[in-house]
Amino acid sequence: MKNQVKKIDKLKKIATYSILIFFALINIYPIFWMVMNSFKTENQIAINSFSLPESLNLSNYISAWNAVSLGRSFMNSFIVAGISVIITVSVGSLAAYFISRFEFPGKKLIYSFFIFGLLVPIHGTLVPIFILMRNIGLVNTRISLILPYVAFNLPLTIFILSSFMKSLPKAVEEAAIVDGAGYLRIFWSIILPMTRPALATVGILNFVYNWNEFSFALVLINDSKLMTLPLSLSLFSGQFSTDYGMQMAGLSMALVPIIAIYLLMEDQLVKGMSAGAVKG
Amino acid sequence: MEHIYKHKKKLIYLGILPAFLLYLGFVIVPIFISARYSLVEWNGFSPPAFVGLENYAEMFGNNVFWRSLKNNMVVVLASVLGQVPIGFLLALLVNQKIKGRHFFRTIIFMPVVISAVIISLVWSMVYNYNFGLLNNILNFVGLESWVQNWLSNPDIAMFSVAAVIIWQFVGLYFIIFLAALQTVPDEILEAAKIDGAQGWKRTLYITIPLVKDSILASIVLCISGSLKTFALIYVMTNGGPSHATEVMAIHMYDNTFNGMKFGYGSAVSIFIVVFGIVLVTIVRNLFARFEN
Amino acid sequence: MINKKNSLIIFIVLIVGILFTSSVMAQETVELEMWHAWTGQDAFASEVLLPKIEEFQENNPNIKLKIQVIPNDSYRTKLRTQAAGGQIPDIMQTYPGSEVQPLVEAGLLMDLEGIIDYWTDDLIPRDSLSAYTFNDKVYAIPAKVNYTHFAFYNKDMLAEAGYTEWPETYEEFKVMGDALKENDIVPISLGNKAKWVLQSIYISTIGDRLTGIDYLEDVLAGERKFTDPAFIKALDVIKELADEGYFNKDANSLNDMEMRQAFYQKRAAMFFGGAWDIGGVIETAKEENMNVGIATFPQIEGEVAPKALSGVTGSAFSIRSGLSEAQKEAAIKFLKFFYSEETYVDLLRTGSFVPAKVDLPADISPQFQDVINLVNEHQIGPVYDAVLPINLIQTINNGLQSLTAGEITSEELAQKMQDNL
Repeated sequence: MKNQVKKIDKLKKIATYSILIFFALINIYPIFWMVMNSFKTENQIAINSFSLPESLNLSNYISAWNAVSLGRSFMNSFIVAGISVIITVSVGSLAAYFISRFEFPGKKLIYSFFIFGLLVPIHGTLVPIFILMRNIGLVNTRISLILPYVAFNLPLTIFILSSFMKSLPKAVEEAAIVDGAGYLRIFWSIILPMTRPALATVGILNFVYNWNEFSFALVLINDSKLMTLPLSLSLFSGQFSTDYGMQMAGLSMALVPIIAIYLLMEDQLVKGMSAGAVKG
Repeated sequence: MEHIYKHKKKLIYLGILPAFLLYLGFVIVPIFISARYSLVEWNGFSPPAFVGLENYAEMFGNNVFWRSLKNNMVVVLASVLGQVPIGFLLALLVNQKIKGRHFFRTIIFMPVVISAVIISLVWSMVYNYNFGLLNNILNFVGLESWVQNWLSNPDIAMFSVAAVIIWQFVGLYFIIFLAALQTVPDEILEAAKIDGAQGWKRTLYITIPLVKDSILASIVLCISGSLKTFALIYVMTNGGPSHATEVMAIHMYDNTFNGMKFGYGSAVSIFIVVFGIVLVTIVRNLFARFEN
Repeated sequence: MINKKNSLIIFIVLIVGILFTSSVMAQETVELEMWHAWTGQDAFASEVLLPKIEEFQENNPNIKLKIQVIPNDSYRTKLRTQAAGGQIPDIMQTYPGSEVQPLVEAGLLMDLEGIIDYWTDDLIPRDSLSAYTFNDKVYAIPAKVNYTHFAFYNKDMLAEAGYTEWPETYEEFKVMGDALKENDIVPISLGNKAKWVLQSIYISTIGDRLTGIDYLEDVLAGERKFTDPAFIKALDVIKELADEGYFNKDANSLNDMEMRQAFYQKRAAMFFGGAWDIGGVIETAKEENMNVGIATFPQIEGEVAPKALSGVTGSAFSIRSGLSEAQKEAAIKFLKFFYSEETYVDLLRTGSFVPAKVDLPADISPQFQDVINLVNEHQIGPVYDAVLPINLIQTINNGLQSLTAGEITSEELAQKMQDNL
């Protein structure tokens, strides 16, 4: 009997690893391909984009960095994406807290109201938002990006956070109320820490979305000093030809902060709830 | 459980207010402006002309539009049936104490952050008719009859593209489920084990019900994301060949920014939103009924 | 005598004097917002046009150009979105034909009739400005002429199939194609994912040849129809190339890079491209030791204009209407400096064709000289998407994809074009 269980366990392990390794391989290949080609010259890529590079030629990286002032774009993207994430997660988690753990008139309506935003295709709002920003006088500023980024990420943020917060046991709050704690205190000291995995999730998702966002940046930013990364990277495409080498190098560099942020947050993703909170 | 503090309501509304205002101003208001545009004929340069519901009539009479709706449904189905279960499965697998789980957790999420340009270039080469990996493998294992013109054949192009979309976003649902699995306390899982429930039984009867909110959330996200999908298809096939992979968001973009029909494009946008509301409402009702 | 009254007068005079001089000085700095799509990848941009802009800035410190570079693919989206929001730049790059027409019709652009003689007197024949002329008024000055049709072929591969010379007739061409197919070589590499390839490169020249170069104008004026047998025959040629397997089967999902890649990797014997490909092909051919020839489509039976070669002007700047006098002056100064004889000669050096009548510089490459000779044997004809209105451009772009995918017939496409007119 014990041997059979052990055998099944072993099979399960093999199956698990096989599936995971399979996924890992197909997921890693595009990144590998991109980095590989970033070390080749334009002609080398034109001839065979699957071959290994002859050497770790960094010329594409240097050219890419200088040609479109990547350093400045990185900074702009960091500022815009970072501030947007902070604002979104702050106001979003607060709203999610009240929506998910309280009863009040209009709750269902407000929740649906936010979820509605998940369905809005952003290209349909490009012209209206441009006109809006123009009327407010914010065109060509970083704020003009931060505001739509926050607004469009709120539905997803509230959606994920509230569904997560809803499933937290009521017991933790009740104990604190008996102790006389106010709601904000409960929110800050009890609910938020328990929501860490979901906070990490929306933090990552928000950051990724903001980091890669192109359309709003294209339309709202006119000053080359304020260009975000996706805008700068698009400059590698000419009307008749694209500089693939520099593009690969630029995209490789753009990937680094995301991976870094992901690794930073990833730990939080799986931090379990503290045993104390559950036992009450 | 009712909180009985008097100024509770004020606090609640106040807490929701900042998010509400930002969202109202920069999502809802633009959508309403867009709805207004859907009632005019406008090329973006000359003054708009009011045409009432003509744009909608044109849209519903346009074969290309219906094809784009059909294409979106392909993506919706593929996503819901593909991304959600696969994401969930992967989350389960990686949640165990296995070696290298940090690595796997990162790698599985990676495609979500890679630029659409790279994904399109790489997968176009996988699907390449003469020299692509897929056809080469099929030939190698003797399945020549399965060799296809994956992206050029109008009949199957949409499915080929949908597969890439599924692949790209599995990681998103993966991390949502991973976070959700953290709310399943170890004690409950242990208790179930002692009671004799193991493996799939445990997953089916214990874990899944405990994370059902996340499952519903993921399905809703899936549907909404699938209806809006744009970037990858735009770069990979640009809606071609001849509308075979054109989804509603591309149909809208093409007509607005290439065809210079801002009014018609806005009508498509509004349709996407309304159609999405209908779908999501149906799904949520189904889930609510299922719960009872 | 310095008393209160005098000092007050002196004070006022001083103030007025300062204000006057500072306002004059402030007047002297003019700001112009400028948009263009030259990201620097193409030689004509990085070697001629961009340095020219810089030179202008250096020579004119009192004219400040606030430049925005937007890649070609996103240019239209940005321009149209901002225009819809009531904001367009002071000087902007515009695209010919139906791209710039709505701007003209909305009164957003300034016509250049007041200064056009500067060019049309001696430098550029007025005919060459037709892509930017509406109601007999010119709205932009182009820098280049982009011929959109050249055959780049691998001489060695053709020789192996038994052809030491480029086939004269279309019939011969097909026989050669069959021979290549026998040897498992794709005759023509085609990457039509972007949809405009079959239209700008193929049907524009093939159509012009069979229908004559005035055909499109006549159709738009209602004097001829798309259902003309000549046009249907042109569509038939393309359909035949696809159906008989002269193109690679997955043409509609490959982009231009993959199209050229197949040629460079010697999997295909040739590809058709535009003048923009010439530089890259010559360079890569040298690196890969390939023997590359450049030609145009062979003669098709029933041709009305056997020497037609499609081409369109481009890289043009337009000026916004409603500029202040000072801005107008500065913008005009820029145009005259930018589109000068010197510029056109420099462009020729980079292997670009120009609409201006200038002498060829002595130091152009021999390969480009060959191409110039080739072009001089031909007569310029319209490129479809520079002449047709937007909805017809979309119809034919999508239609050609359907045609080569076997979804519709030539007659059906021609009828569709006629219906959408």
